[in-house]
Amino acid sequence: MDWRRFSFIGFIIVFLFTVVVLIGGSRVSPTIIISSMLTTTIAVATPLTLGALSGVFCERAGVVNIGIEGMMLAAAFFGWLAAIYMNTIFKFDPSISLWTGVLVAILTGGLFALLHAWLSITFKVDQIIGGTVINILAVGITGFLNRQMFFGEGSIFGGNVPHAPGLLPSLSKWLTPLCGGPQGCLGLPTLIQGTFLDQKPVAIAAIVLVFVAHYVLFNTRWGLRTRAVGEHPKAADTVGINVYRTRYINVVLGGMLAGLAGAYFTIESVPSFEPLMTNGRGFISLAAMIFGNWTPFGAWAAALVFGASQALQINLQFFRDAIPPNWAFLQHAYIVGLAPYVLTMLILTGIIGKTTPPAADGQPYEK
Amino acid sequence: MKKFYAVLVALLIAAMLLPACGPTGPECAKPDVFCVGVVTDVGKIDDKSFNQSAWEGVKLAEKELGAKVQYIETTDAKDYDKNIATFADEGYDVIVTVGFALGEATVAAAKKYPNTKFIGVDQFQAEVTPGVAGLIFPEDQAGFLVGALAAQMTKTGKIGGVFGTDVVPPVWRFGEGYCAGAKYIKPDIELFIVYHSDVGFDKTFTDPEWGSATAKSMIEKGADIIFGGGGKTGNGAVIGAVEAGALAIGVDTDQYYTLPEAQKGLLSSAMKLITPGVFELIKLAKEGKFPDGNYVGDAAFAPYHDLDSQVPAEVKAKMEEINKALLDGTLQTNVTPAKTEDGKGFCTP
Repeated sequence: MDWRRFSFIGFIIVFLFTVVVLIGGSRVSPTIIISSMLTTTIAVATPLTLGALSGVFCERAGVVNIGIEGMMLAAAFFGWLAAIYMNTIFKFDPSISLWTGVLVAILTGGLFALLHAWLSITFKVDQIIGGTVINILAVGITGFLNRQMFFGEGSIFGGNVPHAPGLLPSLSKWLTPLCGGPQGCLGLPTLIQGTFLDQKPVAIAAIVLVFVAHYVLFNTRWGLRTRAVGEHPKAADTVGINVYRTRYINVVLGGMLAGLAGAYFTIESVPSFEPLMTNGRGFISLAAMIFGNWTPFGAWAAALVFGASQALQINLQFFRDAIPPNWAFLQHAYIVGLAPYVLTMLILTGIIGKTTPPAADGQPYEK
Repeated sequence: MKKFYAVLVALLIAAMLLPACGPTGPECAKPDVFCVGVVTDVGKIDDKSFNQSAWEGVKLAEKELGAKVQYIETTDAKDYDKNIATFADEGYDVIVTVGFALGEATVAAAKKYPNTKFIGVDQFQAEVTPGVAGLIFPEDQAGFLVGALAAQMTKTGKIGGVFGTDVVPPVWRFGEGYCAGAKYIKPDIELFIVYHSDVGFDKTFTDPEWGSATAKSMIEKGADIIFGGGGKTGNGAVIGAVEAGALAIGVDTDQYYTLPEAQKGLLSSAMKLITPGVFELIKLAKEGKFPDGNYVGDAAFAPYHDLDSQVPAEVKAKMEEINKALLDGTLQTNVTPAKTEDGKGFCTP
């Protein structure tokens, strides 16, 4: 493990939290500030973590994927669409509809990734171009279908966006019936309610998947083969690893992770789809992946830094009037918002340890 | 590989053959045909907010005045001029441009097309340009109303507001009006005000996920009423607040009808009466009485709907009293028209 990188990242997160506690501590108790900042950090980091994991799988296998943004957007749309269809047209109950939506989002991400794999592995198209195609395609398809299905003349829902089946509930709401009431399981549901532990399913899945991804990549035969294919495909080929198949599966797997990130937007966070709603988070995921040196834990830590910096921005605005006069520049959200990007560049300069992409990253493999 | 290119070329050709959608017919150039076109701000005509309200005013003109109507949705801020010109070149009589961001493009177009009347929704006219009427609203009054309402309804003494960027003067006036109204009722009220000023114009109003996360962060700190002001970002805040069990206040239109997900917790909305304003101006244009310069529409607060029984009678009476005092000018909000140099005002004293 790259301890220098992790302690640097940990230091930044602690620093960002400390700034807010110092400024806002007189108005709101520090415990509440820290818990609330953790909630925001984890929620904001969720799509970034999943997007970065998606990038890790693709690039560890040697395929650059800048189409994560597009995959997220398409998954957000189709997942949402599926949930609405299930609920409004087929009359399933909201919870089944929402889970179908999540499933469809994952599949959509996988399908878009399959297209990317087909272009970049089978046809050896420049992978940057392939990814760009995915991004443009996703913007076009989602924008067009969103219009045609919901707002056009004679559209299915008669010009009105139908009532979405709601949102995935958070952990405390899951536990309440399982524990037989809010006081069951030693009062656990009541205890976590309103704290940062009360996360929703996709956010929890993202954290679990970080550990799974680490285990798969570094402790299984499949992970070893994946990394071999991304570092030196020729050598991998000579020992009998099917380079194309390995890459295909990893790219599609990565796409499915991006799809789950898409579900976060329309099924877990807000119950509506807006064109372009991913707002560049797929690209920020790539920055997180690089920041984290192409490792799952690194990517997660980096995503948390980005999440924490957004929590900082929001909270500094709450406590605007408590900012000391000689720190007045902190009132400018733009400056605070720059922090994660400046840090990414700092990391890339190699000050806190070398950042090394997989050796065969972005190179099509010719047999 | 060859096959792949063949498929690609075939697809491209197919794409080109798809009929292009756009403004219809050359008949708008005829003097007896009255045509009204709408150019939206970056976003959709059905944004449940601004574009939609303006379009409804235009649709009203179609019904009442027999106008031929059409809209163009702007997908990129670079296309404002192009989209306005599309209507102007076809001889449209009135062009409605929606949103503060189209102000410059609208004035430039009015100078280029002297025979067309332009209605700039939410576009303050610093100087009069012949052929341009800026439909503006007292957002500070709308914000003041809901701020006063929130301050009377809060149980924790803490209320929040999630807004688009404060660089846009109407957004600033909503936020400041909200704080001013809240402090008018309760001078010691605790306010959590956040503007999404950390991103560009293209993203500040279209980030519901951010709005929701921000609203929840306020609720965790004790706020129990959240005002969401700023397109989809504000919508996200309203939905997030209601989901977290707090009350929410919408913006621009009566969002009870546009955000069904939030109905059970929507206290009211700070309304700009865009639809009647746009219709009124179109009517004036048709009658040849088009006013150049600024045209001030009305502000209001939306009905309480589902929460009507929870609002005490004395609060309702107080709201009517404030509304009346604002309309007849005996009560002033004292909000600056745009963001002050140092960013200070009612929200940040």
